[in-house]
Amino acid sequence: MDPRIENILRRVQRPARYVGGEWNALRKDWEKTPVKIVFAFPDVYEVGMSHLGLQILYHVVNRRDDALMERTFAPWTDLEREMRQNRIPLFSLESRRPVGDFDLLAFTLQYEMTFTNVLNMLDLAGLPLRTALRTNRHPLVIAGGPCAYNPEPLAEFIDLFVIGEGEEVFPEIIDLVKDYQKDRDRDRFFLRAAGVTGVYVPSLYLVKYQPDGKIGGLQPVKEGVPERVTRRAVKNFDAAPFPAAFIVPSTEVVHDRIMLEVMRGCTRGCRFCQAGMIYRPVREKSVETLLEQARQLVENTGYDEISLVSLSTADYSQVEKLVRKLLAEFAGRKVNISLPSLRVDAFSVDLAREVSRVRRAGLTFAPEAGTQRLRDVINKGVTEEDLLQAVESAFAAGWNAVKLYFMIGLPTETRTDVEGIAALAHQVLETGRRLGVPRGRLTVTVSVSCFVPKSHTPFQWEPMETMDKLSEKQALLKSLLKTRGIVFRWHDPRMSFLEGVLARGDRRLGPALAEAWRLGCRFDGWSECFRFDLWQEAFARTGVDPAWYACRKYAYSDLLPWEHIDAGVSKKYLLREHQRALAGKPTVDCREGKCSGCGLCVALEIEPELAGGKKIAPVQDSI
Amino acid sequence: MPRYRIQFSKEGPARFWSHLDLVRNFERALRRAGLPVLYSQGFNPHPRFSFAAPLPVGMAGEKEYLDLELEQNISPKEIFFRLSRVFPPGVRIKEVQPVRDDAPSLMAALEKAGYSGEAELSGEISDAGLQERLQSFLALPVVEAAKKKKGEVTTRNIRPGIYRLEGRAGPRKVFLEMELQAGSRGHVRPEEVLESLAKEGGFPVLLETAVFKRTGLFFKKEKKKNV
Repeated sequence: MDPRIENILRRVQRPARYVGGEWNALRKDWEKTPVKIVFAFPDVYEVGMSHLGLQILYHVVNRRDDALMERTFAPWTDLEREMRQNRIPLFSLESRRPVGDFDLLAFTLQYEMTFTNVLNMLDLAGLPLRTALRTNRHPLVIAGGPCAYNPEPLAEFIDLFVIGEGEEVFPEIIDLVKDYQKDRDRDRFFLRAAGVTGVYVPSLYLVKYQPDGKIGGLQPVKEGVPERVTRRAVKNFDAAPFPAAFIVPSTEVVHDRIMLEVMRGCTRGCRFCQAGMIYRPVREKSVETLLEQARQLVENTGYDEISLVSLSTADYSQVEKLVRKLLAEFAGRKVNISLPSLRVDAFSVDLAREVSRVRRAGLTFAPEAGTQRLRDVINKGVTEEDLLQAVESAFAAGWNAVKLYFMIGLPTETRTDVEGIAALAHQVLETGRRLGVPRGRLTVTVSVSCFVPKSHTPFQWEPMETMDKLSEKQALLKSLLKTRGIVFRWHDPRMSFLEGVLARGDRRLGPALAEAWRLGCRFDGWSECFRFDLWQEAFARTGVDPAWYACRKYAYSDLLPWEHIDAGVSKKYLLREHQRALAGKPTVDCREGKCSGCGLCVALEIEPELAGGKKIAPVQDSI
Repeated sequence: MPRYRIQFSKEGPARFWSHLDLVRNFERALRRAGLPVLYSQGFNPHPRFSFAAPLPVGMAGEKEYLDLELEQNISPKEIFFRLSRVFPPGVRIKEVQPVRDDAPSLMAALEKAGYSGEAELSGEISDAGLQERLQSFLALPVVEAAKKKKGEVTTRNIRPGIYRLEGRAGPRKVFLEMELQAGSRGHVRPEEVLESLAKEGGFPVLLETAVFKRTGLFFKKEKKKNV
C-alpha cells in the first residue's frame, strides 16, 4: 500500500470505501495479462458496488486469461481534496495502480447527474478531458450504460461508447485492444472499433447545425463508419455469463445482497420509461439455471439474502415456482428471498408475503400518476382498484407502511391529475385505518419525482415542465398531504431540470459540462453537493440556454441529438405510441401474445425468451 | 452449547473497517465456512458471537478476540482450518480454543489493552530526555484528559488507567508502548495518553502523525491462565 494513501485514509470519512481487498475481489498478474481494464463507476463505492452490471462485467473480463479488470470509484470530496494536495492520481482498488497505467478506462453511465464525476475522474487520473487531446500514452476511454443512449453531451470526452449490453461487446473490444497494442495507432483503432456493431466513436461523426440552432445532420467522416449505431443485446439469456461469485463488499453498500437476475427487459411499455425500451426484448432465465446460480452464490458469498432482480420481477413467468423452490432450499439455511420492486396488484403482495417472514420495511408501489386518464396516457396498466387491492392485502398481511411513487410534470397533466395523487394517498391511508392498522404505525409515504423525458421513449419529443410549474405542483401537493400518517417526499426540480438538459442535449453541451466541472460541480445527484448556481454560471459563460434543451418540444421532423443511435425499437413505433398517449389509448404488453410492433425483434434479429417456452411472433410490417 | 474463543488479527485493508463492518464480515465468513453457528432467537436471527472490544476505524489489532457458539461440538482444529479459508485479506485467524460454558463474557472480563505506536517529532529529544519525561509523567498523581461528548467537554483523570508506558526516541520519531485500561468500566485511548504527555510540556511531538496498533487484550484472571 502506498504509505501516502494509507496516511490520507486515516483522515477521510468511511475509508473502507477505498481499500479494496474484498472477498472474491481478484488481483490478477499485471505483467502476464496483456489487456488491463479499469471499470470506473462515477459515484461512491456504496452506490457502485450495488450495480449488478459491474459484477457481471468483472466476471466476463476476468474469466479470460488475456485480460484483467480492476475497479475504481469516484472519491468523495474529502479524499479528492487530499489527493489533489498530495498529487495522488486516481487509483484502482485491486492493485492500487494509477488509472493511467491501464489500457482501457471503462465508465458506466447510469445517471446523467454523474457526468461531472466522469470528468473529475478523468482529471484525477491525469488524463486530458478531451479525446482530441489524448494520445497513445493514455488509456482508451470508453463508456456504456443507459446514458450512452444519448451520448452526445459527453461526445468530446469519451473515445467510444458501447450501445447495449456490455457482456456482448466487451470480448470484441478486448480483441481490438490486443490488436491496438501492436502499433498503438489510435486512429486505426477507432476506425476498426467503429465497425463493431454497438460501438459508437463520436469523433468519427460530424454534426451540422441549422441557423435556428436545430441539428441539420450528422455524418460519418470516414469510409466504413456506419451512419447509425445499432444496439447489442444478449441472445440465449439463459446461457449468458453470470458470476458464480460476487465481490462481497467489506463495508455496507446500498444493495448488500445477492442480486439474482431473473430476466432482462420489460415489455409493459410504460411510455416514460427508458429502461422499458432499451433492454428489450424480455428474456427470462429458466428456474433450473436460477436455482443453480443461487446455490453457487450463497456458497461463495456468505450472503443471507437473495434479491430477485429485474425490471419487473412479478412479471417473470415462473416467479411462483422459482420462489417456492428457493424457499424450500434456502429457508432452513436462514437465507431470505426478497423482491426489490412490486407490481401494483394483490398477486405481488402475496408473493412478498410468502417470501418475507418479517414485515420490515414497508412495501413500495408505483402507480406513477394520480388519475386513470393520466395512467392511460403513460400506459401504466394499473387501476385504482389494483392499487387499493394491493394495499389492502399488504395491510391485512401485517405491513404498517406503504410507499407510493408518483411523477409530476407528465405530458397532458392537469391540476386534477396532481390532486388525484393526494386523493389516492388518502384512500390508501383510509384503507389502512379501516383494516385496523394502529394509527401511530400507519404510514403512507408519497414520493413524487419530476418527469424527465428520455431518449428512445415515446415521450422523447415532449418538453419537460418548467421548474416554476413543478414547484407550484409540489406546493399544491404539500398543502394537500398535510395529514397525519402521510409523509410527502419530493425531488429538487432544479436537479431534475439539469437531468433533463443532459438527457436531451447534444454536443454543444460539452463546454458547459467542462465549465461546470471546472467551477467545482461534483456529485450533482447528491443534494449536499449539488450547486445549481455554479451550473447556471457555467451555462451563462458558455452561451448555452439550458431551457432550450430541457423545455423545448421536439418536432417529429426534427433530427434528434440521438437520431444515429438505434436502440432497436423503431421510430415509427415510438411515434405511434406518442400519438396513442395523447389520445389516452393504452397498448398491451407483448407477453400477452399480441405483438405491439415495436420493431425490435426484427431489427436486432432476436426474440423474446420466456421460461415457460411461450412464443411471441413479431408482426412483420413493423420495421 | 459449545463455545469457542477465537483469536484473530485485523490488519492491512481490514483495519479501515468499522466495527460493524467487522461483525458483518464475520457473519458472512462463518456462512462460507459452513460451520453450524448457533443463531439468536427472534424475528431476525443473528449468529451468536461476541467480540471483546471494538477497534477504532484505522487501528490494526494483532490479538483480537471473539467468542462463538456452535450448535454442536467441533474440534478447534477443524474450526481453525475452516475459518482460515474464508476471510478476505487483513483478517487472520490465529487460534481457536474451547471455552467453558460458565466463563464470563469477553466484554465483562476485559481489563487492559496493549498498544504500540509511533509519532513524528517536531523537535529534538534525546532518548534520555524522553525517559525523564515519561518518568515524571508517570509520577503525576492526576492526569486530566478532555473528552468531547455531544458537544460538551468533560475531563476525567486517566492516570489510574495507565498501567504501563514505555518509549524510545529515534532521530525523527518516538516509539511508544502502553498498557491501558480497557472495557466497560473505563477506557483510556493511547492518543489521549500521548496528548496529555505532550501537554505536560517538553515533548515535541506531532500529534496528528501518531499511529497506534492494538497489540493485545488482557482479561481478568480466572483459575486458568489468561487467554
